[in-house]
Amino acid sequence: MFSLDTLLVLVVAAPLAAAVLTAALGRWYLRRHAHWPALVAVAVSLAAAVALAWQWSAGLPALPAEEHHAGQTATEHAQHEEPTQPEEHETAGERYLGREHVVVLWRWAAVQGAWGTPPFVIDVVLRVDTLTCLMLLVVNLVGLLVVLYSVGYMHDDPGYWRYFTYVALFVFSMNMLVSVSNFLLLYVFWEAVGLCSYLLIGFWFQRPAAADAGKKAFLVNRVGDFGFALGVFLLWSALGTLNFHDTVLPDGNLVPGVLGQHWLSMPVPYGGAWGSRVAVVVACLLLFVGACGKSAQFPLHVWLPDAMEGPTPVSALIHAATMVTAGVYLVVRTAPMFLVSQSAHLVVAAIGGLTALMAAFIALTQTDLKRVLAYSTISQLGYMFLALGTASFAGLAAGMFHLFTHAFFKALLFLGAGSVMHAMGGVIDMNRFGGLRRRLPLTYWTFLLGALALAGVAPLAGFWSKDAVLAAVHTRAMENPLGEGYLYLTLYYTGMVTALMTAFYTFRAVFLTFHGEERLPEEAHGHAHEGPWWMTVPLVLLALGAVGAGLLGGPITDWLRHTPSLAFAARLTGTGHHGFHWQVAALSTAMALGGVALAAWFYLAQRQLVASLAETFRAAMLYQLSYGKLFLDEIYTVLIVIPLRVLGWVLFILDQFLIDGLVNLVGYLVRALGGLFRPLQTGLVQFYALAMLLGLLVLLASMLRWPLG
Amino acid sequence: MTTWLIVGAIVLGAVALWLLLPRGRKAGRRLGAVLGAIALGMLLATVPPLGGWFTQGLFWLLAGLTIASAACTVSFRNPVYCAVWFGLTLFGTAGLLFFQGAQFLGAATIIIYAGAILVTLLFVLMLANPRGQAAYDRRAWEAPLAATVGVVLLGLFSTGFFSTLKAMPQQTPAQVAAEKRQPPGKYAVSALGAELFSRHLVAVEVAGTLLLAALAGAVAVVAQHAQPGQVIPRPEGTVPPAREPNEVTVR
Amino acid sequence: MNEQALWLGYQLVAAALVALGTVGFLARRNMIVMFLCVEMMLQGVALSLVAWGRYHGTLDGQVLVLFVLAVAACEAALAMALALMLFQRRGHLDTAACFRLHEPGQEVQLVEQVSAEGELEEPEPEPTWPHLPPAGVEPQRDPEQEAYRSHV
Repeated sequence: MFSLDTLLVLVVAAPLAAAVLTAALGRWYLRRHAHWPALVAVAVSLAAAVALAWQWSAGLPALPAEEHHAGQTATEHAQHEEPTQPEEHETAGERYLGREHVVVLWRWAAVQGAWGTPPFVIDVVLRVDTLTCLMLLVVNLVGLLVVLYSVGYMHDDPGYWRYFTYVALFVFSMNMLVSVSNFLLLYVFWEAVGLCSYLLIGFWFQRPAAADAGKKAFLVNRVGDFGFALGVFLLWSALGTLNFHDTVLPDGNLVPGVLGQHWLSMPVPYGGAWGSRVAVVVACLLLFVGACGKSAQFPLHVWLPDAMEGPTPVSALIHAATMVTAGVYLVVRTAPMFLVSQSAHLVVAAIGGLTALMAAFIALTQTDLKRVLAYSTISQLGYMFLALGTASFAGLAAGMFHLFTHAFFKALLFLGAGSVMHAMGGVIDMNRFGGLRRRLPLTYWTFLLGALALAGVAPLAGFWSKDAVLAAVHTRAMENPLGEGYLYLTLYYTGMVTALMTAFYTFRAVFLTFHGEERLPEEAHGHAHEGPWWMTVPLVLLALGAVGAGLLGGPITDWLRHTPSLAFAARLTGTGHHGFHWQVAALSTAMALGGVALAAWFYLAQRQLVASLAETFRAAMLYQLSYGKLFLDEIYTVLIVIPLRVLGWVLFILDQFLIDGLVNLVGYLVRALGGLFRPLQTGLVQFYALAMLLGLLVLLASMLRWPLG
Repeated sequence: MTTWLIVGAIVLGAVALWLLLPRGRKAGRRLGAVLGAIALGMLLATVPPLGGWFTQGLFWLLAGLTIASAACTVSFRNPVYCAVWFGLTLFGTAGLLFFQGAQFLGAATIIIYAGAILVTLLFVLMLANPRGQAAYDRRAWEAPLAATVGVVLLGLFSTGFFSTLKAMPQQTPAQVAAEKRQPPGKYAVSALGAELFSRHLVAVEVAGTLLLAALAGAVAVVAQHAQPGQVIPRPEGTVPPAREPNEVTVR
Repeated sequence: MNEQALWLGYQLVAAALVALGTVGFLARRNMIVMFLCVEMMLQGVALSLVAWGRYHGTLDGQVLVLFVLAVAACEAALAMALALMLFQRRGHLDTAACFRLHEPGQEVQLVEQVSAEGELEEPEPEPTWPHLPPAGVEPQRDPEQEAYRSHV
């Protein structure tokens, strides 16, 4: 059938073609049918991605058998400062560094030896490995379902064609983001998805709140992207290349890629290329700043809740399932650097754990259904980073696995919220409706499944992935009881508390929305009902995913080992044992069930207790803190926005009076000089003739031989 | 003596011109005419004797006629009179040319200038301003200044001529050539024609082309204004008759 | 004949014509009269050239005058066309009233003054019409028609 190269190009080209087509024809020709290009293109992309994954998996070698002690030695290996000698007893399994395939499309830039640097060559190059395949599958699957859902959800919006243009463009950008094999192109499409996010958050730009939210998302992302850009610069100046893969030049020389086999297979990866340990750490942290911005981690998480001003399917696709996981993808992709740095991952883990806890705490009291889900997204992303922060293969794989399952159940929850919003005439405040389970039975059941998955109740998807995350952290904590172990142990218990809170706020939302006495807002006009089949089919399909995706944990973990970055991690830290962590599982299940039970008690049985509980916490300021989102927006305003405004005002004054004054002074001088001669320009022909004649007289007089006689 | 004559002619001429130029007042015009005549006489008196009394008299007559009518051209208020006086100037000039032996040029001046150009000019004058004596004809622009500049120019020229005359050889190059028995009749019309159509043939053709271009240009300039159906606003200074509308439609 | 005296006399007459033309060009405001003055200057130049030609015993001066004549004819044609256009558009031939080239904001008081004073001059006498002896039918007179010609 198709070759790998063709499939890879097809995956990214189809949405681009759809975007261009819809942009060109959508407004005047496609109109009500503007969804067809996007729908077909994303379906084609998904089919191509499936075929790609299938073909790629078929060509993979069997995983080498792993020796039991490998993890142990490799961990020690990593903890030694400078392991100088290649270890003689390395087995074949430890040497396996995954498999990748790159397609060079064309050369984008080539600057030869400017300023004495190595040649700056950027090829447009796509890659295939299992990590890319997994991301492509997630993006296109969720993308297809969301496009399907949007057909019903957006059906009478005046910007129908615009919406599908943006979505197609987003799918293209995201596909490129996960399949390019170069940091610069990664940065380009990192910005491209940010642009699509901005456009879609501000989709209803007539609403000031939406426009402001778009601006906020863009500006906060700038902070992160600035860090990312600095990280890319540092990579370039330290390693002299930005490619992930090794490149063999026509003259036979090898340009080792940042994540290529050449460096990864060395006993001391990167050797002295970095110059110092600090440089690696700084590069990792700068890249992580970028990841924080895109994946809404503390302290750059503030844009994500506001991003819920966009259309709900967009929240599901971009701000829950795909784009916000770009940061996770980035960290997993660059995992070898984090592993080599030996300390940057601690920051990742700490930020992840802190974000998870903080976002869950804020979500406890929010009354906006979509905001609850937004904070839950931040919290779950925090889980993923917590897993990545363990800097072990098990943790990385668990992070990706959580990303995978989270995409299903969070998209499901958002689409369910969209369904509620659709039925409620645009109202999303949980105080204004309730008891909808008889009105929206299908939404209720699918939402409930999603909520169970999010809460981590066995045997749904969230349970398995969250368990894998917590298990990885627990393992890491137990490996080295001293030093780092304390941090990981703290984070482990933080994760457990977060799990409890997650279950509580999730089911608080479920009970407030679907249980209790039936209340409908006026905007619903009394005819609250399920959406058309365009909207219900994606719900059902996602619900199936939310239930069943967890079973894929083992296969995905093994599959991911074929990715070079992760294979390197596996070589360095071992794969961890696949066994089920009974202790962790039991504790997290207890937490989840406890949270659900607590929510049921407060919001089903004894709702009057809620007020008194809130009063109790209000006394301790906790309620206000949670409800006010820790007042981070206000703190940012005071610390950043107001000083910048003052600075801007000062500069404005300077510009107005000093700079403009100087410029005006020059103008006035020239004008005054001209004013001396201005009266001469009378416009009178005779005057001009007279002037000419006077000149002629002077000329004549000078030509005569004086004195006469 | 010559110097004082020139200076006197200049000063008197300036005063005379100032008095003669239209100033919005009649007073002093006669005085100006008298002063102008004296200045003219002083100017012509500087010329050394030419030869016999007839020659001398003819020269004085022609020169006086030319300059006096030129002064009238400049100073008369009615532009039609100006044109007529200019015609007289042309006749004087033509006479001077004949006097020099340039017969063809003399005839051409009368035919082309007086016959064609001046008549065209009179046509235009009649078409444009039949009544004459408009406000702008009665009042000169800075008459004293203009008169001063003009006579200073004349003074500088005369000074230059006299100094040139001083440096001249006893015999003119023409006389020298005549003594060497070059063929006479150089001033005849035929000689001029031969000269024109041999050495200056290309220039003659170019001049002809120039005339054609000027003809086309003049037609284009005048014709561009009048397009059928176009509405021309009435000129500001003109008074509309009671029966006509305030605009004129070109038919 | 005293050739040198003849030369001098011609040059003086030529200079006088040029000077008078200059004075006229500067002082007169009627465009057509200004044009006449320019022609007068050209005549002066022609005289001077012919005199120089006689002095040198060649025909170059006369040839040059012929070309001056041709150029003057062209100039006359174009200048008259332009004068007509000016009169059609403006209703007058006053060059002092055409000062659009002036610097904005520069008051051209001179022109206003000149025009105003020009109006103050003694009123024009009524035109006297010839008195026809009563023979045949007297044509009907339209005073407006006689006093005014709408346009060229």
